Amino acid sequence: MNFSLSEDQTLLRNSVRAALDEQCKPAHVRAMMEDGGSGYSESLWAEMAKLGWLGLPFAEEQGGAGLGLVELALVLEEMGRAAYPGPYFASVVLAGLGLQAGGSAAQQEKWLPAIASGQARGTAALLEDSLDWDPAATTTTATKAGAGFRLDGVKRFVPWAHVADVALVPARAPEGVSLFLVDPRAAGVTLTPMVGIDLTTRWSEMRLDSVAVPADVLMGQAGGAGPVLEGLLRRAAVGASAEMLGAARRCLDMSVGYAKVREQFGQLIGSFQAIRHRCAEMLLEVEKAHAAVYYAAWALSAGAEDATMAASVCKSFVSEAARQVCGDAIQVHGGIGFTWEYDLHLYFKRAKALEPLYGDAAYHRELLVRGLAGSA
Amino acid sequence: MDLNYTAEDVAFRKQVRTWLEQNMPRQIKDLAERKVWHRKLYEAGYLGMGWPKEYGGQGARPMEQAIVADEMARAGAPAPTNGLGVGIVGPTIVVHGTDAQKRRYLRKILTAEEMWCQLYSEPNAGSDLAALRTAAEDRGDHFQVNDQKIWTSGGAIADWGLLLARTDPAAAKHKGISCFLINMRQPGVDVRPLKQITGSSEFCEVFMTNARVEKENLIGRLGEGWGIAQTTLGYERGGRALARITSYAVQYNHLMNAARRLKRNGRPILDDAVTRQKLGRIWADLEVERYGALRVLTMLERGEHPGAGGSLTKLSYSEFEKRFMELAEEILGPYGQLTDGVPAEYRLEVDTAVGDHGTWAYAFLWSRAGTIYAGSSEIQKNVIGERILGLPKESRADRVGGTR
Repeated sequence: MNFSLSEDQTLLRNSVRAALDEQCKPAHVRAMMEDGGSGYSESLWAEMAKLGWLGLPFAEEQGGAGLGLVELALVLEEMGRAAYPGPYFASVVLAGLGLQAGGSAAQQEKWLPAIASGQARGTAALLEDSLDWDPAATTTTATKAGAGFRLDGVKRFVPWAHVADVALVPARAPEGVSLFLVDPRAAGVTLTPMVGIDLTTRWSEMRLDSVAVPADVLMGQAGGAGPVLEGLLRRAAVGASAEMLGAARRCLDMSVGYAKVREQFGQLIGSFQAIRHRCAEMLLEVEKAHAAVYYAAWALSAGAEDATMAASVCKSFVSEAARQVCGDAIQVHGGIGFTWEYDLHLYFKRAKALEPLYGDAAYHRELLVRGLAGSA
Repeated sequence: MDLNYTAEDVAFRKQVRTWLEQNMPRQIKDLAERKVWHRKLYEAGYLGMGWPKEYGGQGARPMEQAIVADEMARAGAPAPTNGLGVGIVGPTIVVHGTDAQKRRYLRKILTAEEMWCQLYSEPNAGSDLAALRTAAEDRGDHFQVNDQKIWTSGGAIADWGLLLARTDPAAAKHKGISCFLINMRQPGVDVRPLKQITGSSEFCEVFMTNARVEKENLIGRLGEGWGIAQTTLGYERGGRALARITSYAVQYNHLMNAARRLKRNGRPILDDAVTRQKLGRIWADLEVERYGALRVLTMLERGEHPGAGGSLTKLSYSEFEKRFMELAEEILGPYGQLTDGVPAEYRLEVDTAVGDHGTWAYAFLWSRAGTIYAGSSEIQKNVIGERILGLPKESRADRVGGTR
């Protein structure tokens, strides 16, 4: 039993942090937020490919580094800490892990090396109008059309779809919910930007009007997407938690730093218990979130008995812990923390954007009680 | 990072489980029976496990200690006695005591032949422990002790006490304190049970009037008591990390069963969406406590001391316990308040280490103590803020110079 990072894991985290500290400073984040184009930096993307981050969890024969979810969580935590603007999560976690779990050998061969090398970007369209994360709620339809299928429906909050080369799209075929690899630029696909408070993440509404796709873009068996989607949701939930953890840690660090220099009533505000105690509570939440993220990442990687429960423990806990910590950070800062000019809101909003995604706290708590009580 | 237990640890766990199945008493009626059980645990090598072998311990790894405590919690085994002796006084003597003190006291702590208490808090020195006023005056061949202690766990059954007293009233607040071993069975020591809000008396008040402490029973040097107490407090915060969580999990299962039986608006409470949310939250919190305990164990296994990190652990579990018990009370309604006449389905068979079986009502009331004893939550947050986050110290009347 060893719940600590190995030397290699620590090295990885340090190198990711150093690279992002250098190349993803707040000025870069702000430039991308205001960017009228893609909203992310191609040169940083190429750098990330070179560093091996884009293929981190893929097998070596697929151009990956063959590492596990713990390592992926380390990278994602740093992405959250830097509020990295770009399709890393969409491409590596949503498309990459989805293809890894449910793609055929040919589909993996086509996409994973391309994602790992940075040539292709992917995403997944997991939400519809109802915002229900249960794959069974899918209403987008897949109708047999010739040798292939015709897709119809509306997907919402598809991250980085505007720069994606491939999107995993769940749709209901006569056999049940199925998963398709769709080119977001294909005829019949309309993308409309959905602009949220977190400008480091770009969402689209994806409208599918009689989108014709060939038979070979079906992942696995028709009607068999449920387990793949559930597994992907769990991994995405833990990955999003890792990003929220990074954002929360950044907010904590900024608050503690500020409390050590800001003076009121002739004293440093960190000497007041009202501030000190709040910072102590923030640290406790961050440390607990750390334990929740890395336990779940390990459990999913190792196929532990409690892996499913651990993922829900993680997302339900971290969703609220991160919101609390990032919100408290604004309170510790006072007025300056409410200004656009000060960087705190970048991390506050990043965490907030992830809070409802891949199941919010309430959704995962219900899953926990189902798991414990064995009743619906 | 590998959270699987080693084959060695799995085998050890199995061995402990089998031993408990064969040796665990169903119920313990009084202190004499508890001492018998204590002795049995000691002889099996399951008590004082972390103590060095030369003093009667096992020199066991922290993981082995954790496994024994965890299996005991899982089985609902009665606690041994002399917890402060084994957990705090003994280790203090091991670290700071003379050879003669070690020979005289250590073994009898392990066997519970001599029971120990800790004489620290006073009516006007609680969170501000260093404000203590109990005086130990040098009378040539011995020290003479006067004044009052309070919140003394197990004072009524203690033969000996670990005492903090002021030996130099002229010295600075934290400098004039010394640490002693005091015989509780002497005319100058008057122990009165303190009735708590639970109705029971785990704590006592101790009045000392010209009480005698032999010269050879000074621990460390004169004026070093505060530093010694700090390491002692450290032991108290390290604790039974994993076993505590397992106890919570056992109680949680009881609560789920009650939620299946009890109804609200014609349906089992367990089907109520609001209650399910609350149950889900507490379970997640409980699991996060368990993950945290595994992190602490990892540190201990490497020989690292959690230090101020122990304050995070203590703050976390004690505050969690209050939230957990509040939910239990909410689900159990008036059943949760029964101290007698509790129907079997709503009983909570917790062992309170004082010889009687507990109830949800007792556990609920007791949860209010956790955020006060061994450094209140507010004190823990001060420690976390100053020692982990490095925030500036507050301006305090007893600190010359005020803020930095």
